Amino acid sequence: MTLIDFTNLLVSALLLAGIYAVMSVGMTVIYGVMKIVNLAHAGFMMLGAYFALELFQRFRIDPIIAALLAFPVLFFLGAAVHWVLLRRLPRSDEPTLPSLLLMFGLWLVLQNLGYLIWGNTDRSIFTPRTLSVVSTVRLAVFIAAVGCLLLLEVILHYTWFGRSVRALIQNRYAALLTGVYEDRTAGIAFGLGIGFAGLAGGLLGSLYSFDPDFGRPFLIRAFVIIVLGGLESISGVAIGALVLALVETFSILFVPAGYQLAISFGLLALALIVLPGGLASLLAKVRRVA
Amino acid sequence: MSATSATLPARRMAGWAMTALPWILLAILAILPLLVPSPNFTRLLFMTFLWTTTSIAWNLLGGFAGQVSFGFAVFYGAGAYTTALLMNAGVNPLFAFLAAGLTAALVSLIVGLPAFRLRGPYFAIATIGISEAVRVVMTNLSFTGGASGYRILEHRPFRQLEHYYTALLLAAIAFAISWKIAHSKFGLGLKAIRQDEDAAADLGVNPYTYKLAAHALAAALTGMAGGVFARYAAFIHPGGVFGFHTSVHILLMPVIGGIGTVWGPVLGGFVFGIVEEEIVASFPEIHLLLYGLLLIVIILFEPGGILGGLRKLVRRFRDHR
Repeated sequence: MTLIDFTNLLVSALLLAGIYAVMSVGMTVIYGVMKIVNLAHAGFMMLGAYFALELFQRFRIDPIIAALLAFPVLFFLGAAVHWVLLRRLPRSDEPTLPSLLLMFGLWLVLQNLGYLIWGNTDRSIFTPRTLSVVSTVRLAVFIAAVGCLLLLEVILHYTWFGRSVRALIQNRYAALLTGVYEDRTAGIAFGLGIGFAGLAGGLLGSLYSFDPDFGRPFLIRAFVIIVLGGLESISGVAIGALVLALVETFSILFVPAGYQLAISFGLLALALIVLPGGLASLLAKVRRVA
Repeated sequence: MSATSATLPARRMAGWAMTALPWILLAILAILPLLVPSPNFTRLLFMTFLWTTTSIAWNLLGGFAGQVSFGFAVFYGAGAYTTALLMNAGVNPLFAFLAAGLTAALVSLIVGLPAFRLRGPYFAIATIGISEAVRVVMTNLSFTGGASGYRILEHRPFRQLEHYYTALLLAAIAFAISWKIAHSKFGLGLKAIRQDEDAAADLGVNPYTYKLAAHALAAALTGMAGGVFARYAAFIHPGGVFGFHTSVHILLMPVIGGIGTVWGPVLGGFVFGIVEEEIVASFPEIHLLLYGLLLIVIILFEPGGILGGLRKLVRRFRDHR
């Protein structure tokens, strides 16, 4: 492997990490605030991808812009789903069996709706930029992804809503005692998580072809990332995304591409055995030793 | 006072009825194909027994111990492929089924050993991951035919009733195991884990080994069901036995019937087995939608499933009398 190959792989891993972070961050926010593992994330990603496709085909809107537009639309969809379904679940500090099954049912429904509306043929968003030598699509996707992540960081740190979210993540009871309005915060947080899922779906749609089942491999990657990140840490997600992207990209050198998911799973098992608290706990340990 | 004296014999009667019910049911099912000699009907019941077996198996872990798995297709497929490979190598089907159960149990340890070390959602997450990874690997594996599937050559005439009784026996064994566990210290331990892991650990239940044991047992039963299916179908492929929909079906049945009970998964298995034939026959394009909506409705309105709903009805009826 020459230095140029190495640089190429490194850059593409970095670009991949941006979108991986976007798709996982929504899941982390939802898990942190509501302690719900959002299995329906894949379904919402699929909706985001088709939303971008429809805007692109019907109104000739640039797919990256279309993906950004998917964010508010899916935000309201997510808030509605929270209001109709999730509000009725009993609250808990741990993911409960009903919440897992409910989100799973929702995923099946979304997936089937996708099949009913768009059929099961593979679709793709094809623009003149798609095949250009310097992959501008990847770069644009990366910039959009990082921009949205920065925006989320700002919201979480400098708004009342963001403080409520962080309080609920840290300690639900203490947050309630200080006057955090849980229902509203959870609703917005869920909307935000789903919005990020839609954005990620839209962005992924400009990179890969998709069908109504397209979110599943990405759902597993998102799991790996949030487990690596320690489930509740937003900055952990960024590190987890980077690690997964690096491992996946460089493993192509040794393992056939068909086995990539097996690699993700291997990484998950490794993380569970060696690093149950995620990478963040490792960093904390290193800091303590130093 | 009179109420207790009236309900006591009634309760004892109900107790006997509950003990006798499985045997009566078994007897009826054993002679049913002889009374109704239709290959289609026999096949429907055969598949229903296999589904019921997997439903009972899922409930051992998901219902009793409260550990949701989305990956039981891994065990079903592992059992199916083990049976297929062994039978083609000339092994007696019975031994092939046992080996299928053993293989599936070993596979369950690969998932459980890392995932059960932690609490919370890790296990559920890991099961989706491994089922996807295994399906991908099996699709690319060349010695089992990869995506194009694997054929079983059995040098014996096809006798449907033999398959039927194998499946019935397997379902009966699964039920007996589930019944025994529900009335044992092991079952109580699992229940304690579902309710409060810390409290269970304080009382001397080791959650890790209990969960691993329940997982392995469930996997073995599911694997054997997969094996019996493989022998009947004589052709298996990764998209079928390892398919995600297989996991969905296996999880759906106990939820429909009533999670965490002995009879719920049986009820769910029978309802599903029969309805699945009808639904898939008439609306194949929306069956995921129907299953998804069913899950959502059950979780929101009747988490106890059919059995829970029935119990509520009976109680209301009794109170209004």
